[in-house]
Amino acid sequence: MIINHPLLGPRDAAEFVYLGDAALIERPDWQARDAAEAFYEYGYLRDNPAGKHAELWYHEQGDRSWLVVTRDTTTHEITSVEMARDVARAKGRSK
Amino acid sequence: MPDYSLTPAAPLAGTDITIADTRLVAPADLAVVSVALPLGAENAAEAAIKAVYGVALPEVGKSRLAKDGARLVRLGSDFAFVIFTHPTPDAERVVAGRLKGAVYTTDQTDVWVALDLSGANARRALERICPIDLHPDAFGIGDSARTVMEHLGTLIIRTGDNTYRLMSGSSSAGSFRHAIETSLSNIA
Amino acid sequence: MSQINRISGGQIDRAQEVKFTFNGKWMRGHPGDTLASALLANGQRLVGRSFKYHRPRGIFTAGSEEPNALVELRKGAHQEPNTRATVTELFDGLHANSQNHRGSLEHDLMAVTDFLSPFLSAGFYYKTFMWPRAFWEKLYEPIIRKSAGLGRLSMQEDPDIYDKGYLHCDLLVIGAGPAGLMAALAAGRSGARVILADEDFTLGGRLNSETLEVGGMPGARWAKEALVELAAMGNVRLMARTTVYGAYDHGVYGALERCTDHLATSGGKPRQILWRVTSKRAVLAAGATERPIAFGNNDRPGVMLAGSVRSYANRYGVTPGQQVAVFTNNDDGWRTAADLVAKGVHVPAIIDVRDAPAVCDVPGARHIRNAGVVDTVGRKGLKSVTLTDGQMIPVDCLAVSGGWNPNVHLTCHQRGRPTWRDDISAFVPGRDLPPGMAVAGAANGAMTLAAALAEGRAVANAQIEALGFKPGKADLPRAEDEPRDCVPYWHVRESTKRGWLDLQNDVTVKDVKQSHREGFRSVEHLKRYTTLGMATDQGKTANIPALAIMAECTGKTIPETGTTIFRPPYTPVPIGALGGRSRGRDFRPYRLTPSHVWAKNNGATFVEVGNWLRAQWFARPGEKGWRDSVDREVLATRKSVGICDVTTLGKIDVQGRDAAAFLNKVYANGFAKLAVGRVRYGLMLREDGIAYDDGTTARMSENHFVMTTTTANAVLVFRRLEFARQCLWPDMDVHLISTTDGWAQFAVAGPNARNLLRKVVDAAHDISNEAFPFMACGEVTVCNGTPARLFRISFSGELAYEVAVPARYGNAMMDVLMQAGQEFDATPYGTEALGVMRIEKGHAAGNELNGQTTAHNLGMGRMVSQTKECIGNVLSQRPEMLREDAVKLVGFRPVDRDRGLIAGSHFITKGDAASMDNDQGWMSSVAYSPSLGHSVGLGFIKNGDTRMGEIVRAVSPVHGTEMEVEIVSAHFIDPAGERPRA
Repeated sequence: MIINHPLLGPRDAAEFVYLGDAALIERPDWQARDAAEAFYEYGYLRDNPAGKHAELWYHEQGDRSWLVVTRDTTTHEITSVEMARDVARAKGRSK
Repeated sequence: MPDYSLTPAAPLAGTDITIADTRLVAPADLAVVSVALPLGAENAAEAAIKAVYGVALPEVGKSRLAKDGARLVRLGSDFAFVIFTHPTPDAERVVAGRLKGAVYTTDQTDVWVALDLSGANARRALERICPIDLHPDAFGIGDSARTVMEHLGTLIIRTGDNTYRLMSGSSSAGSFRHAIETSLSNIA
Repeated sequence: MSQINRISGGQIDRAQEVKFTFNGKWMRGHPGDTLASALLANGQRLVGRSFKYHRPRGIFTAGSEEPNALVELRKGAHQEPNTRATVTELFDGLHANSQNHRGSLEHDLMAVTDFLSPFLSAGFYYKTFMWPRAFWEKLYEPIIRKSAGLGRLSMQEDPDIYDKGYLHCDLLVIGAGPAGLMAALAAGRSGARVILADEDFTLGGRLNSETLEVGGMPGARWAKEALVELAAMGNVRLMARTTVYGAYDHGVYGALERCTDHLATSGGKPRQILWRVTSKRAVLAAGATERPIAFGNNDRPGVMLAGSVRSYANRYGVTPGQQVAVFTNNDDGWRTAADLVAKGVHVPAIIDVRDAPAVCDVPGARHIRNAGVVDTVGRKGLKSVTLTDGQMIPVDCLAVSGGWNPNVHLTCHQRGRPTWRDDISAFVPGRDLPPGMAVAGAANGAMTLAAALAEGRAVANAQIEALGFKPGKADLPRAEDEPRDCVPYWHVRESTKRGWLDLQNDVTVKDVKQSHREGFRSVEHLKRYTTLGMATDQGKTANIPALAIMAECTGKTIPETGTTIFRPPYTPVPIGALGGRSRGRDFRPYRLTPSHVWAKNNGATFVEVGNWLRAQWFARPGEKGWRDSVDREVLATRKSVGICDVTTLGKIDVQGRDAAAFLNKVYANGFAKLAVGRVRYGLMLREDGIAYDDGTTARMSENHFVMTTTTANAVLVFRRLEFARQCLWPDMDVHLISTTDGWAQFAVAGPNARNLLRKVVDAAHDISNEAFPFMACGEVTVCNGTPARLFRISFSGELAYEVAVPARYGNAMMDVLMQAGQEFDATPYGTEALGVMRIEKGHAAGNELNGQTTAHNLGMGRMVSQTKECIGNVLSQRPEMLREDAVKLVGFRPVDRDRGLIAGSHFITKGDAASMDNDQGWMSSVAYSPSLGHSVGLGFIKNGDTRMGEIVRAVSPVHGTEMEVEIVSAHFIDPAGERPRA
């Protein structure tokens, strides 16, 4: 597989480490009233779509950036690659 | 009190071999200092670098030679290496002193070992271990990439027409040199 | 043996002779021959035995699709089984042997299986050997094992070396026949970076096997001229002997280059290279493979594919027989007859299943229309064929053509499905090709020469235009569209004898019909039940005729029946090539500690810890075993001072305005208020509340921390920290960089640790207990000015420091520490003594942080802060994790002090039966404590902290042992913790 890194261009998947669902960015608020339930869902429940899936890849043998790669799990087609940090900021994690 | 002194021994010191008309040399006294750009103060940090080194910090994946011969390599959006010749173990202090707190510095000199590969067959040898496209049109002089070669994290910089600087972890220096030597002997 | 079947012409170098042996018999050939062409030239028709029935077999094809002519090549450790004679380049001194026979090739004792064939039909192994059950191990299995397999391995280590590599291009052209050459010319002339790869050693594809003209010259010459032009282009890389065997994601292709297989020796160079080709676009021009027609006894040596017979005549100057009949359902078979006759070979008959006029004039050949072959005669070599009307024609070779199948394999490697074309009775590539791939020429169903050339150019131009190149002006050479009419005809129905489909796995028409009768309807099931297409050739010649027969049985069409899934590799790839350099010592890289040389010179035994080689112990003369050394090292350290290289622990530089706040989030315990110049033990949790890693983190300055991790988790912790920094808290000013390799770090432990360090640390730095207390850290200089870091931390439980110097000084530092320590009998110690001392002290390590245990289990529950945001604290509070009867980490000692504890033992309350229901916990770490003179252990037991002094049973069913052990404090040594503070 080839991942088109937003800063570095196309790189071989061998340079990357896979983590999984990009929903892991959306870590719940530890002080919320339902924090225990929210963390349970955060920790254990994942969507497993046959089709487009936003997932986290880490460019370990590269610039050490975490990326959000949108990949079709049935064809491996990659439709977008974003810096996870930008995605996290867009999701309002800048606190 | 007895007078102890420590003699440095860099892992690949003295390496100078030629196989397949291609020379592999360990550059002496190479210092590496990482500079990280503080969040929100990136512009000030870049300005400080430009003021000190006379050249702007390059784009990610590029490197640039400063007036004093130091090479600035941008490795990520917020960090870079300054690579320069400096024999004593205070490279980080030197860089930190010049940049006066505009960046966070960490000494990386002993984290890395470097090998310079030069000769007409350099690219052919690297083809066996380097996943990066090193065609001159794709990897220009000064371009750099951090990648993996024979399971080892490696920084490769194209320093000239047929010359490359390869840097990898110092603890695995022997395996690193062996990987490049094998590539050379396999194409010889 | 003389080359009785040599005829004129061909691309062999007749000026030179090459000698080789087959089954020990010396034969001669020429450079340019394959082993198969040379065997045929020498009149050797019988070359092997079939897999199941041990039927005599000959050469069937002239290419990589060969199912029959599998041979063992070379001798000794270089021996390689199951290689195809049809693609083996002949070289001087080649030794080849036939395989799969007991006794000689001519008199195979296993040939009896052919007479047992009624009992060995499709799926026989699912039906036989079932009972009596007792026969299985003693009788059936040994027999099957002895019969199974084709060739023999040398049973020696492969003496050759292999390599891998990475290639990049704009356009990868797969196949160098007319379409591929034209594609490469078009793309090459436009300036695109092109790789042209072909499995053959002579590029040109079928042009080398045909007499057709291109651009007014013989096709083979046109190919040579095209190759000369391509070779001169700096932007084109020609790769002969290179099989593109797989199409992977995103334009990545796997290719195997055979570098030295055509040479007598590899000369110390890689025998084969496995290339990973990253292409922006690809043109598949893999050509087509001819398929046979099934009829009675169609597997005899001498029955061959018609296009292959033509290859031998035109390319190699060999005729496979002196009397060659042609049996065909299409026009192309006629060209074999015409080409042979043109070379003076007698063709007695052309048997065409069609009721149609002659395709061309073939002097001397009878045209028998509307007929088929029902049977053959000649057990070890064809003697005659019998036709549907009963007439027998004496021949020694029958050239069979059932039409041609486009080589669609690579188009299907990403689940693409081919589509059926009635006009050529064949599958062609479907629409869902691997991204970036286009298909040209015969592989795409363009079965004629002019069409292939035109399509090669057009497809390549479209591909490079999409990449932004301007298509070059590659003129299309003049060529003809030769007649290619073909009717669907798969097997001769009138034939009552067994007709073979899969020659390599011995699958017949009857087997396919039987599997249908037994209820197998899906082609995937047919394949697995009959083993059709499951041999090393993957059914390249067999699958389509078998599908057609399956379709006949079910009353469906062939496209309705569908194909099985094509998977890589296209042709076999040796395991050695897949392994590449990663063998033996080069299996993975090694990491050496900075004092490795010193350790090696001082008797160290090394142990692999991940990629690291660490000193395990330092044996001294007179010591009889490792325990002697380890016990001595522990005692010497606890008595005076010991030194251990602990460089392998992960070190991460953490800097930034928010560094302290960041550490507070990634550690379960508090770090925000750690003072500058102080170190703190930190525990990291997983988000689910399970303990993850631990280590110490030192605050070097306000915004600068140095974190240590365990050796095993160094890379993983760094990855997690980057995740936290970029994904969870993206706007904290914190920066991470690994410095593990940069600092040589030594533990100096024992009552004399400070006395020793005082001799090394420069006098300007006060390291007295008052100025530099337990858990202090700071930057110092050692040995007259070398920068260093000093941490007063203790894993051993003794007064201890860790001193770090830039790695280049590591080996010298070890030497200096030992010199300076001479007066204290300083002792180097390895990982074993390190482990013993941490168990004696009750420190948790990997065995305790095993992915199942929580801070609560480890007795560190109170460290987990609930007043701050940090990873893992929310889920660590789940009731099940905080159960009152949760297991707790405590110490154990044997009641009988002479016994050795066993790690992995489970604890059972006295009086209870040793069962899982009564399981109370487990022993995680044990060691012999030389300090105490008996075995000590750490383990987890329910309510352990409230059961001090209780005697329980430690049971290990695995070892068959059981002993009584006493629950004690985990701190066997210095429970009050006074020593490290001294």
